[in-house]
Amino acid sequence: MAQVKIDNVIKRYGSLQVMHGVNVDINDGEFVVLVGPSGCGKSTLLRMLAGLEEISDGTISIGERVVNDVPPKERDIAMVFQSYALYPHKTVYDNIGFPLKMAKRPQDEIDRKVTGAADILDLTKYLKRYPKELSGGQRQRVAMGRAIVRDPQVFLFDEPLSNLDAKLRVTMRVEIKELHQRLGTTIVYVTHDQIEAMTMADKIVVMRDGRVEQIGAPLDLYDNPANIFVAGFIGSPSMNFVHGQIVNEGGVRQFRSDNGLMLPLPDTSAPDGTKVTYGIRPEHITIADHGVPLRVVVVEPTGSETQVFAKHGTDFIDAMVKDRFKAAPNSEVRFAIDPANVHLFDRETEQRL
Amino acid sequence: MQSNRLGWILLAPTLAILFFFGVLPFIYVVYVSFHQWNPFAADPTMIFNGADNFRKIVFDAEFLNSVGVTVLFVLFAVISELVVGYILAQAFMKEFPGKAIFRTIHTLPLIMAPIIVGSVWKLMMTPSIGIIPHYLNEWFGITVNIGTSPVAAFATIIIMDIWHWTPLVTLTLIAALVSLPPDPFEQAQIDGANKRQIFFHITVPMIAPAVVATVFIRLMDALRTVDEVWMLTGGGPGSATRFVGVHIFKEVFPKTNYGYGSTISVIVLYLTIVACWLLYVTMLAPRSKKD
Repeated sequence: MAQVKIDNVIKRYGSLQVMHGVNVDINDGEFVVLVGPSGCGKSTLLRMLAGLEEISDGTISIGERVVNDVPPKERDIAMVFQSYALYPHKTVYDNIGFPLKMAKRPQDEIDRKVTGAADILDLTKYLKRYPKELSGGQRQRVAMGRAIVRDPQVFLFDEPLSNLDAKLRVTMRVEIKELHQRLGTTIVYVTHDQIEAMTMADKIVVMRDGRVEQIGAPLDLYDNPANIFVAGFIGSPSMNFVHGQIVNEGGVRQFRSDNGLMLPLPDTSAPDGTKVTYGIRPEHITIADHGVPLRVVVVEPTGSETQVFAKHGTDFIDAMVKDRFKAAPNSEVRFAIDPANVHLFDRETEQRL
Repeated sequence: MQSNRLGWILLAPTLAILFFFGVLPFIYVVYVSFHQWNPFAADPTMIFNGADNFRKIVFDAEFLNSVGVTVLFVLFAVISELVVGYILAQAFMKEFPGKAIFRTIHTLPLIMAPIIVGSVWKLMMTPSIGIIPHYLNEWFGITVNIGTSPVAAFATIIIMDIWHWTPLVTLTLIAALVSLPPDPFEQAQIDGANKRQIFFHITVPMIAPAVVATVFIRLMDALRTVDEVWMLTGGGPGSATRFVGVHIFKEVFPKTNYGYGSTISVIVLYLTIVACWLLYVTMLAPRSKKD
């Protein structure tokens, strides 16, 4: 177990700079998720941590040791790839035991650790099989087994669940989290799936275009997003954004959208006339008679909840309501918004006000 | 049923060609191998002589010698081509200045007919006019004469074969290396394997099917090498480079011994099949279970 420090890391490919001074501190035993859209640099950052990519500038330390020039095999890390990267010509047993064999551990220790890992991951029956004879979920577990037998300082996961079907993904999510609770090893986990990030992480690092947008605990990011990007990225379905400004009509401060939609305003020190982007999460909207009138576009029942898409001019707002709700397209619906749940962002800088 | 018939119709031309140019001649060769036959003799009739030709083979010292020489040649040539071919393939996987030109030049020998290769090497190796003996003598003081030295003749043929056929090995190995997924190699680095361990534990097993296929092709080619050797040494000096192909050629053409020549062909075919089978059993069969 170890803490990891990523200090002002820069990555260039020739003259093209793709990583612009990234700083992340990861505490001992923490489960950190790097999340962001594709191309944001999260996988590159993970590969730099693993030593598979060189760092152009800055330092990365694992434990107390700066590892900038340390080759992957000496970093005491284990990694699980998106493709699982199993050795196709080796059995499950040999795949899991490979790192120990490379480290020239005695055979009885290899035996003990491989069967131990297989036991934890429910792979005992499959030890003699080849990767081709396994299902996606089993291969994924073999890759994890190969990582845990090393007892490394840090686990690195590069989108390990992306190739699994939706149901299996949920199961494996729970398994990985359980594994972390059991082993207590530091984990750095890359995903583009914000639900994975929210459910698994102790700490989320949201990245975009080679920069860190915000670092925080999942609910912190959900409750207090630093900017429009984080607000839109964290939470599912994603936050509604309406562009407009703060107005004062008859002593009542309100938000008026560019289309004239009036919405209740939270407490804010921003002066009247400030151009803002108004953010409200779908799950924070209820349907009530005192609400703002809009026109129904589509109603999507999911069983437990109903998602209602409505509009006012070109302002689209969707609401996720607990109750079952039916409405004809273009009929009127009233969305009630509690100002306490509203987020205001500067329209220019996109930062939260 | 419809698609089945269509399948046979589409296969028919290939099957016909295969039958007339592959199966029929093979059956004919087997038929001839049980006869004594000289089509150019005053009496060109085939005389059935049972298994006499096959019995003769067992006591044919020249044939047995030619098998030994051929096996040695195949071992030296194919192993060297694999090693050199792999090194070149790895080199071509990296970027270096002039790579495209070098790769083109390197592939040129492949498009040359063996008979041309043989005659060019004969020119280069002939004492007094050849460039190779000249410089070997001038730079290193070594005198080489493939007309008199069995070792020099044998070595020259191996070097010529390596020069001619290594590009084929390089190309197939490049194809195999290019198609390898990068992840297991990165994983192996993380798993603590050094370069040597990655080569033996990951690279070799993963390109093994391509290597075996290449060895099959080269093995079968090398076993029936005739024209290059015929041009360069004519099988000599003595019988130092009298490979089975050359031996058959000599039996059939100068000696017009068609029956016996056919018998040797059949035996060589049998030996080739056995060699390929052994190769398959030792290298590929254990893998097929895994795949």
